[in-house]
Amino acid sequence: MTDHKKVPVTILTGFLGSGKTTLLNRILSEEHGKRIAVIENEYGEVGIDQALVINADEEIFEMSNGCICCTVRGDLIRVLGNLMKRRDKFDYVLVETTGLADPGPVAQTFFMDDELREEFELDGIVTLVDAAHIEQQLGRSDESTEQIAFADVIVLNKTDLVEADKLDALEARIREMNRMTKVIRSERANVPIETVLHLSAFDLDQVLERRPTFLEPEYPFEWTGVYSLEAGRYELSLDDGPDPTMSLVVLPKQGGDDSGLRDGAELCVRRYADPAEPVGPGAVLPLDTHVSLQLQESGRKSFVLELETATTIGLYAQHTAEEFDMKVINTSLASEVEFAVDRTWVAQHEHDDEVGSFAIERDGTLDPEKFNMWLGRLLGEKGIDIFRMKGFLSLAGESKRYVFQGVHMLFDAQPERPWGDAPRRNQVVFIGRNLDEREITDGFVACLN
Amino acid sequence: MSELDKGPKGILRSGWTARVDEYAIAGAWACGDDVFVVGDATGSVYGFNGKSGAALWTERDTHGDGLLALAVHPNGATVATGGQDGCVHIRDARSGTLERTLDLGDGWVENLAWSHDGTALAASSGRKVFVDRGPSSDRWATDDHPSTVSAVVWSGAEELATASYSRVSFFDTQSGELQQKLEWKGSLVSMVLSPDGDIVACGSQDNSVHFWRRSTGKDSMMSGYPLKPATLSFDGTGTFLATGGSQSPVIWSFKGDGPEGTEPGVLELHAAPITELSFSRRGLRLASGDRDGAVVVWGVRDDGSGSPIGAALVYNLVESLSWRSDGRGLVALDAGGNVTSWRVKD
Repeated sequence: MTDHKKVPVTILTGFLGSGKTTLLNRILSEEHGKRIAVIENEYGEVGIDQALVINADEEIFEMSNGCICCTVRGDLIRVLGNLMKRRDKFDYVLVETTGLADPGPVAQTFFMDDELREEFELDGIVTLVDAAHIEQQLGRSDESTEQIAFADVIVLNKTDLVEADKLDALEARIREMNRMTKVIRSERANVPIETVLHLSAFDLDQVLERRPTFLEPEYPFEWTGVYSLEAGRYELSLDDGPDPTMSLVVLPKQGGDDSGLRDGAELCVRRYADPAEPVGPGAVLPLDTHVSLQLQESGRKSFVLELETATTIGLYAQHTAEEFDMKVINTSLASEVEFAVDRTWVAQHEHDDEVGSFAIERDGTLDPEKFNMWLGRLLGEKGIDIFRMKGFLSLAGESKRYVFQGVHMLFDAQPERPWGDAPRRNQVVFIGRNLDEREITDGFVACLN
Repeated sequence: MSELDKGPKGILRSGWTARVDEYAIAGAWACGDDVFVVGDATGSVYGFNGKSGAALWTERDTHGDGLLALAVHPNGATVATGGQDGCVHIRDARSGTLERTLDLGDGWVENLAWSHDGTALAASSGRKVFVDRGPSSDRWATDDHPSTVSAVVWSGAEELATASYSRVSFFDTQSGELQQKLEWKGSLVSMVLSPDGDIVACGSQDNSVHFWRRSTGKDSMMSGYPLKPATLSFDGTGTFLATGGSQSPVIWSFKGDGPEGTEPGVLELHAAPITELSFSRRGLRLASGDRDGAVVVWGVRDDGSGSPIGAALVYNLVESLSWRSDGRGLVALDAGGNVTSWRVKD
């Protein structure tokens, strides 16, 4: 195939009534020389003839590995997959999401699907905010919070309806949540087009070539329960749950403290890499083996656990015990055995208001190896809660400044202009939920030479 | 694959070539292999003489913003096309004359499949699948699937299989009843059935192939693909399943207790990801095409391994490969709108 420039994609988010359609129509009329494809998830009034407007139902696909960071928008894969066959027919793609959309899956779609990644590049996320109503929405809805947290540009619209000091307070609140965003005030979405298009906010090519495994989740299981058991016969009993099967490893000699759980988890990550052995209800569960519990029958199902000696076992389950009402029953006593300790590995996508951002600024150079190790570990553990990262890095042995950016577990750092005589300095902004600023800052500082 | 630059090699011999206006989306042999029908991305449909490649007819811009699917009737006489305008057109394959138009609504018509006896045409549009049995019968439609339907295959004379996010569904198209549901939490991007309808194989967005045996209810997942296995092909006996998802076609053998616990055949020669796979209906010959325009024909052995026995280069990403029914001809469609045919030696 001939070399070609990737088609830039801008994601336009914002609540209903925030002015998305007005901005969209302005972009289309001002960029009239270009063919622009617009993908909408709700019916708007796009009144420009030369634009190719496609209505698609929002379809969020979760990957079978169960990692929440690996949700993508199936409708975009399909629609853009077809559009790219007529690449010469358009120069730009605008994706307008519904007011209720989480921007994460939309952004991740452009990193997760290799065919789309070849043809398109995510240029930026633009969030429209209705200055008169956003305060109420921020209190009520996680989506509006996330739309602000993800944005490269926030258009604070309808400013004529809000008093000046309230507007300043609102802008300050938005900046607190997202320090890297550019805030533009407008009355009727009349912002200069160059402030929202061609931002080149994302560019992940290189990093994914170097580190494709970054897309892998840290843990393929969601929950671990530790049970102290005497020798004898037990039943693992499960009720109906969200899936027809569930992966499980029963690990003997499980330690109950934090390091024991970490060691067990490391071991079970390797077990989970083996193909799962299907085990039907009534069968004996092999120890230290990746099994797939067959749960297609309705009602409670039991699996047998036989222990020759007393031991502490760790159940490393693909889902939480709660989801299947999973219990360990001592069959001779006909009584339930409670777990001694449990641990949830993949933090649930909790909806709260704890979104914020902070910046790290330090002079000097980073040890690239240390930094990579630290970041890999950080994203593995906290990737779900880190919405966006962005900044500049000074790496030891590199004459150029690096531009660094990321979404959840996905990040990118690329050489930009040479440092020359300028003082070497690192500046990174993190935006996310319940982030421990001190812990992350300490980790970053430890990577400095 | 510079050694291929000087024309086709091995059992492939140069045949006719033709061009269409845009990216060639789909093509198929028709009229007892007298005609080859092609649809392109702009929605134009073309009939070519199957022996000379001469243009027989062209119908331009038939589906508004683009054509998405094409299926030739089992008797070869008519061709159905579907597109972004939400319509299905049924044409005479020899003349291109429009015989019927089915308007299925606003959704894109992305999949078309004629039933084995040709009395019914299944067409997916968004989350629904419609089954049409001609102008004098009522058109039946499924309820909404959990997502847009990604594949439609007839699994029996009256039974239709559909793939969507997390599910393969089987419908009795006479009674309208949902017969069976096979579940797998992933986005299914492709589906094929073994000729006897027992084995259902799906490629998944998360770079795996999942399959089920309907008779025993057993299922398995084959992972480790670097890319999405968007193309799959069973051989005529249902013994071998060829899968894309990397630069090398991977062949799973269903002999004995396989393919679970067996090593697949890995056919190495391509230097770019596989975009299309097609087994010949005659003998164990597999044609594979890749993103850079290389086409290879493989002789597949009883153990699932294989050797290249023919190869050629087209100009662009290989979108489709169609064997003539006697296995003596092969047509490739590419992203640049080239239609390239080869004669195939025995």
